[in-house]
Amino acid sequence: MRSETRDVRILLVAVALGLAACHEIPQDAAKPYAGKEDTKAYAGDRFNGDKAKYEKALADRAQNENEYLRTGDAKK
Amino acid sequence: MARMKFICDAERCIECNGCATACKNEHEVPWGVNRRRLVTVNDGVPGERSISVACMHCTDAPCMAVCPVDCFYRTEDQIVLHDKDLCIGCGYCFYACPFGAPQFPQAGAFGLRGKMDKCTYCAGGPEENFSVEEFRKYGRNRIAEGKLPACAEMCSTKALLAGDAPVITTIYKTRVVTRGKGDQIWGWAMAYGGSDQLKDQPGGGQT
Repeated sequence: MRSETRDVRILLVAVALGLAACHEIPQDAAKPYAGKEDTKAYAGDRFNGDKAKYEKALADRAQNENEYLRTGDAKK
Repeated sequence: MARMKFICDAERCIECNGCATACKNEHEVPWGVNRRRLVTVNDGVPGERSISVACMHCTDAPCMAVCPVDCFYRTEDQIVLHDKDLCIGCGYCFYACPFGAPQFPQAGAFGLRGKMDKCTYCAGGPEENFSVEEFRKYGRNRIAEGKLPACAEMCSTKALLAGDAPVITTIYKTRVVTRGKGDQIWGWAMAYGGSDQLKDQPGGGQT
């Protein structure tokens, strides 16, 4: 009986040690960008810093890729 | 906040190389550097498929993780760009990238590598917008003009979609549903969340 208890304890210790290596250490710590700061895409004369206008322009432009808007053949 | 991505619809791509040509022309990319290229699977076999591949502007970009000089950054629109003034041309990003996006111009004899060059999503780089320096190092800045990348806008079959992820995924979903084949959009749920069953997409319940 006593030897069985000892065996269980040894097994538990072995399992605990075996699983001790089962975790992943993060290898890519967050690194800061070290270069020049980029100007915002909407900062120029075209949008004058109006981000909403810029995003709407791109979203509208993307709809040119949707030919179903022209043909109306898409399933609604 | 926009999340700019590319999708290439393999059912539509006809391997015309219009995207690669548009990119070369728009940015005056030198010989030996291919920011965008076509990959064909089962070339010449009936049922072959082609897709247009460039930098996919990964949400968790491995190039950024491995760069020893931290020359990569992400714009507000989640476009992955880099500073060529910092790049040392080590090539780590080339090995890390699953798409083969980083390109290295041969700057001289004996295989000497120049600074890394890649697709900028037509968003230029960390120089003054529309400046001569920006064009010389990174190419044209169409995004700041309110335009989408030249490759996607040039695509004759609209196989290559570029834009904010929710916008272009909606366009792509509409196509898949309209084609009416396949009982699910493979990998959709893993990539974008929600359901990947066709019946759960807009118009997907119709027959």
